[in-house]
Amino acid sequence: MNDGSDRPVGRRKFLKTAGQGAAAVATAGVAGGGMHAAATKPSTGTREKNKVQYGMLIDLRRCIGCQACTVACKAEADVPMGVARSWVEYVEKGLYPNAGRTFLPRLCNHCSEPHCVRVCPTGATYERPQDGLIVIDQGVCIGCLYCAHACPYDMRFLNPVTRFADKCDMCIHRVSKGLVPSCVNTCQGRARIFGDVNDPNSEIHKLIAKNPVSVIRETYGTQPNVYYIGLDTTDENTKKPGQYVRVTTNKAKSPKRT
Amino acid sequence: MEQHLMWHWPVIGYLFLAGVGAGAIAVSGIVVLWGPAGEFRHRAALVARLGAYIGPLPALVGSALLIFELGRPYRALNLLTSNFWFMVLNPSPMNWGSWFILLFGVFTTVYALSFLPWRTLLGGEWGERLAARGERVRSPMAVVCVPLAIAMAIYTAILLAAIPARPLWHTPVLWLLFTVSAISTGLSAIILVQRFMFRKPGAVRGAVRREDPAFRVTEYYLVSMKVLLIIAELVVIGLFFMFAHMTINSANFAVQVLLPGGELATTFWVGVILVGLLMPAFIEGFYLLRTAVLGHEFEWPYVINVSAPIAILFGGLMLRYVIVVGGQITGPVGI
Repeated sequence: MNDGSDRPVGRRKFLKTAGQGAAAVATAGVAGGGMHAAATKPSTGTREKNKVQYGMLIDLRRCIGCQACTVACKAEADVPMGVARSWVEYVEKGLYPNAGRTFLPRLCNHCSEPHCVRVCPTGATYERPQDGLIVIDQGVCIGCLYCAHACPYDMRFLNPVTRFADKCDMCIHRVSKGLVPSCVNTCQGRARIFGDVNDPNSEIHKLIAKNPVSVIRETYGTQPNVYYIGLDTTDENTKKPGQYVRVTTNKAKSPKRT
Repeated sequence: MEQHLMWHWPVIGYLFLAGVGAGAIAVSGIVVLWGPAGEFRHRAALVARLGAYIGPLPALVGSALLIFELGRPYRALNLLTSNFWFMVLNPSPMNWGSWFILLFGVFTTVYALSFLPWRTLLGGEWGERLAARGERVRSPMAVVCVPLAIAMAIYTAILLAAIPARPLWHTPVLWLLFTVSAISTGLSAIILVQRFMFRKPGAVRGAVRREDPAFRVTEYYLVSMKVLLIIAELVVIGLFFMFAHMTINSANFAVQVLLPGGELATTFWVGVILVGLLMPAFIEGFYLLRTAVLGHEFEWPYVINVSAPIAILFGGLMLRYVIVVGGQITGPVGI
């Protein structure tokens, strides 16, 4: 799974990213408008601002629920039958005539405070220092699935072929060559924007600064790096009395381990 | 809410067996260290011996279950060596637990070996020497084994409770529930084995016969302890529900699977509460009170002798089942 780059941040790289971070702080201060928007942003907590942090912004207003990303992910990562790394949930809310259906693409949030990394007993899953992505070293993983329980987003599963934990890795094989992830590449509504969240010149940074964005299950304190525009977090359990909500996850169910 | 189970019988069985082993060792070690002197010394030594024999087996069988569930058993070594050979510990409870299992397995095996009747097994000079050494190391080993046993019992709960994304597990009383259950199931295992060993008078050579009044008195104390543990477990289950009820959102929703109408309600209320706790407590409590209040001699039908510990062991297994499965079929609420 490792693409060959060194895991510890080299001194040179550190100085470079630190410089970028300082630039980011300076621009944010000058821009001014960003400060107001930042007040409504999901809390950043201990998140480092001076390093490359890849993330994704999903504009739910542009998602048409075509599942092209689901299929692209399946093909790109060669995900076995019965499991999925990414999928699109259908969320139906309201009563006629005020009923509506929205789509919610799901993928690994590549959290800045990942619970899965904390519980991993072998250190097989870790945060890559060079881009902040959470990956699994399948040469070390024992397949205990502790991480799958710890993930509040239910993103991890047992790969029935390799029998190790598996999840979305934001297409590190593409990303490290300067391409965008496969789901972003294939999205025909251009609902998915990929980039370095901390780079003030990136499209994703500008869009996050301009739009009201939210993340899934912020209260878990995981500080996800997948942002949504137009996210409604109501589901069947948290709806108001009399409100109609139905969530269809469309997620493939993992086969039971034998 | 996903319906598939990532952790099933191997994990449930492991949590239960580790609890039984830890409980048996804890009881045995405490008897060795602070056991009675004088008239009951010999009986206490027998309880300690049975506990020591029972202790390592379930824990080793349980960890074997887990290792072979992985599919690639040799990979389990990664738990101890991690991805850097020098990094042996990380903050994961499972990593700490694997060290506890290793130490528990090694030390309790030595502890059990120190109880073997070497004089009759080997005889001669070697038997004499091993027996003398066994008696010498027994107490020091108990000092090591009792904390390890308690650590094992607590860790099986912390393993589950460490995960915020599983609201049913993420509760501050789970370790107490599992520890009390571990000690009561370990004690039941000791009582059960002792029953089977003494079905015929004098079945074990050199042991105290069943007609011996010391047998009844020791049994009386053991069963009283067990009933007290059952009451403690009921209190902790009450606390478990109270914590879940007082927590807003996820835990409150999660605990609904155990309450009437939930998916696991029947298993929980019949398997854990009724069969595993209330029935043994009432039946054993009846005979205990007859002795304590009315002054009758402590004796009871053989069927109850055997079935009460089995019911408690079954209840302990069902408790692990309900918690492990219930935690997986519930999850965080809200998108």
